[in-house]
Amino acid sequence: MNKQAWIARAAELGIAELEIYEELSEKREVTWFEGRMDTFVTSSVLGTSLRGIADGKTANLALEKVDDAKMDEALALLREQAAVKPSGDADELRAPEETEEVEAADDWVTPTMDEIAKALAELEKALAAADSRVTQVTELGWSEGKSVRTIVNSKGLDVRDGGRSQILYAGVAVSENGEVKSGYRVEAVRDLKKLDYAAFAAKAAEDAVHQLGAAPVQSGSYPVIFERRAMTSIFSALTDMFSGERIGQGISPLKDAADTAIFSDKITVADDPRCPDALSIANYDDEGCPTRRKLLVENGVFRQALHNTRSAKRMKTVSTGNGFKAGYASAVGIRPMNCSILPGEKSLEEMMKDMGSGLVITKLSGLHAGLNHTTTDFSLLCSGYVVENGERGRDAALITVAGNFLDLMKTVVDVGSDLEWEYHRIAAPSIRFASCAISGK
Amino acid sequence: MLNKTDLARYLALCLASEADFAEIYEEEEVSETVVSLNREVQDVVRAVKSGAGIRLYKGTQSVYGFTNTLDDAHLLPIIDDLRSALTKTDRTVAVDLEEVRVENKNPVKISFEDVPLADRVEFVFRAEAAAKAADPRIVKTQGRGLNVRQSVRIASADSTGRGKVVDDTRVRTRLMIEAFAAENGNFQSGGYAPGAGKGLEYWEERTPESVGEEAARSAVVMLSAKDCPSGKMPVVIDNEFGGVIFHEACGHSLEATGVAKNQSVFTGKLGQQIAAPCVSAVDDGTIPGAWGSENVDDEGNPQKKRVLIENGILKSYMIDRLNGRRMGMEPTGSARRESYRYEPTSRMSNTFICVGTDSFESLFEGIERGLYAKRMGGGSVNPLTGEFNFSVREGWLIENGKITCPVKGASLIGTGQEILLNIDKVSDNLARGQGMCGSSSGSIPTDVGQPAIRVSSITVGGTANE
Repeated sequence: MNKQAWIARAAELGIAELEIYEELSEKREVTWFEGRMDTFVTSSVLGTSLRGIADGKTANLALEKVDDAKMDEALALLREQAAVKPSGDADELRAPEETEEVEAADDWVTPTMDEIAKALAELEKALAAADSRVTQVTELGWSEGKSVRTIVNSKGLDVRDGGRSQILYAGVAVSENGEVKSGYRVEAVRDLKKLDYAAFAAKAAEDAVHQLGAAPVQSGSYPVIFERRAMTSIFSALTDMFSGERIGQGISPLKDAADTAIFSDKITVADDPRCPDALSIANYDDEGCPTRRKLLVENGVFRQALHNTRSAKRMKTVSTGNGFKAGYASAVGIRPMNCSILPGEKSLEEMMKDMGSGLVITKLSGLHAGLNHTTTDFSLLCSGYVVENGERGRDAALITVAGNFLDLMKTVVDVGSDLEWEYHRIAAPSIRFASCAISGK
Repeated sequence: MLNKTDLARYLALCLASEADFAEIYEEEEVSETVVSLNREVQDVVRAVKSGAGIRLYKGTQSVYGFTNTLDDAHLLPIIDDLRSALTKTDRTVAVDLEEVRVENKNPVKISFEDVPLADRVEFVFRAEAAAKAADPRIVKTQGRGLNVRQSVRIASADSTGRGKVVDDTRVRTRLMIEAFAAENGNFQSGGYAPGAGKGLEYWEERTPESVGEEAARSAVVMLSAKDCPSGKMPVVIDNEFGGVIFHEACGHSLEATGVAKNQSVFTGKLGQQIAAPCVSAVDDGTIPGAWGSENVDDEGNPQKKRVLIENGILKSYMIDRLNGRRMGMEPTGSARRESYRYEPTSRMSNTFICVGTDSFESLFEGIERGLYAKRMGGGSVNPLTGEFNFSVREGWLIENGKITCPVKGASLIGTGQEILLNIDKVSDNLARGQGMCGSSSGSIPTDVGQPAIRVSSITVGGTANE
């Protein structure tokens, strides 16, 4: 693609500014089933998206086949789009900005196909041997990906960013007395040769075995601890409340909440795309804006919304460097990147002791549907275990937990110390709450 | 699109390995979503995607590669990687591709690509305007207008060189309207999102105004909703998108993806009673113009109507080619995928519980206290255990056989095995609703559907402290 030719031609056709975003992603994945390779997937995909500004309005177009000879056709689509947009609502393309880039830790060791096969074979055996109740290794796979993003625009911006990851995942089925349950484990693995197979297998099996014999508890209001995995999943699902776009549109529950207490004063939330402890980092967002660390919530008080260039302009502020796309083909949206509830002092065990009796929720299901993003009302299938005299008691399943997230976050008793990024971009430690409605028997 | 000669050449190369089957799936997709807020266009997301996925089988092993640069320089290295993964040989196979022509059961009268963008935007604006006008308490409207054309060419050959090539084009249109209602500091939303496997002519039979009005109605109702009570109770689930219950609680567990590996609660249950005798259900990918229809599946086999359950007896699974091999059964034309970036697997198309004989009113008779789920949200299931959950977008309390007041924050949980046996009434108002179904081969359009049904007992999760 002759990018400068596209930019020049766009200007001739009345598209005053043009941005060309390219993403090249490469993936390799091997899955394993019953003693041999089940599937192997390899791919290389290049996606290009154009963002143009014509007559003070913005237009987007994504292409997978870029043909310089068909430049005019593509640019005409941008013009047609600009014509249906309201006036005075243009995105601003970014000019180059000074920033000191952070180097991501590059200690990923890429295994050969033989090494992957050997590791998966051993891991399958370890999973089968992890517990006598394991009846099947239902899923086992290795996936690695690399992506490079480049952003070039008519203001002279030319930045490049990228990332990579290697993920190992496994699922097991366990059975006892005719009851079948499943367990799952995902881990980011920098060097497959250094993996502790037995420990990985034990965690996958443990996840399933705990659910055996798990039964509903009586419906009622319980003191609860959302264990970090459950806390991470509900917090992740609701971080769109911080979107400057949704706030500006009046559909975020934080629409009138600037500088007010929205959570308990025990809660501080940071978004840090350059966080060295997280799985991946970004020096720039998908508009080429340099990223930076900021506190979204400080001791319970809502301090900062997340912005891309457009939402910042509408709300008369500056971009926070959170203008990320959902994929190369989508328009620039707003997404947190390495966003976390900062950890507290106590371990999960200490919080259980303090709570005395109640419930620990370890897993939440149905987050894509059981949440109201306008009100933060939720009603979700969950599982976990009962706490009695501060100790882990029987396992609980087929229960629902329901409430309002904003209300719940005002009743924080303690924030745990167990924050772990694992493979997530949004993470939370375990949190103990005064009480929550549980529906079971 | 790749021509027949190139396809045959690439397939022959693929078969110079221990592979016994090779397939090339090529796709070009033009999609456009108009995103609007209060009748102002926020974004138009238009994407033209094109690429190909190449798949080789050796028995029940499968290798898959994909790229969107369709020339020798990019395709040959992928083919080489795939052959290596299944062991290369120097076998030469002369591939002969028969061109298969299929009847187009989903003809399009008005293609969105032939209509100016401003006209496509107008459909969204009309729906939003109707929502706004429906009630003074509607303070905000969000609209999305989606139009897609996906053209696919699927070529495959076995190790003898015998093969076929088939083309299909899938066109879809959908309006997704969200209305926000406010009153005395209470803020609620309601949504409606119908669509079809048709061109823009669909909006003549189902007007955009009717879509906006329904979204507004649902939002306004929720303003007076109380917290939903919890516990086990009888539940009446209405038609259309209410069919998501069957989709989640049963449909996914009948996909060969899980069944073939003994990872479904319904593995080995063909011919057995898995549902109440009043329940029959089908998955039918041949309904003309339906959201989940297509002429051929994503392996190039003709779409079919599959009777899944007849009077409570399990009659068929949904089977793709690879899992058919594992199960020793014929594929049922059920292989689907989001795009060339996904290997296909067995998926649903238009899945619904068949029409029953009970009147809608009779479903409420004798219920002292229960839930009427008028509009369902989404849900999910673990096929291995059958455990499902889904949310109720618009629920009403049933008291002494009457629908009384709206309730919010309800979710339904249980296991598929149990709920199918607990359906005790099936009414006569069959209708289908549209959704996007996510699974290992990506996000695909599927219809769910049913007449209103009554389940004698489901665990309802709610927020009311009672």
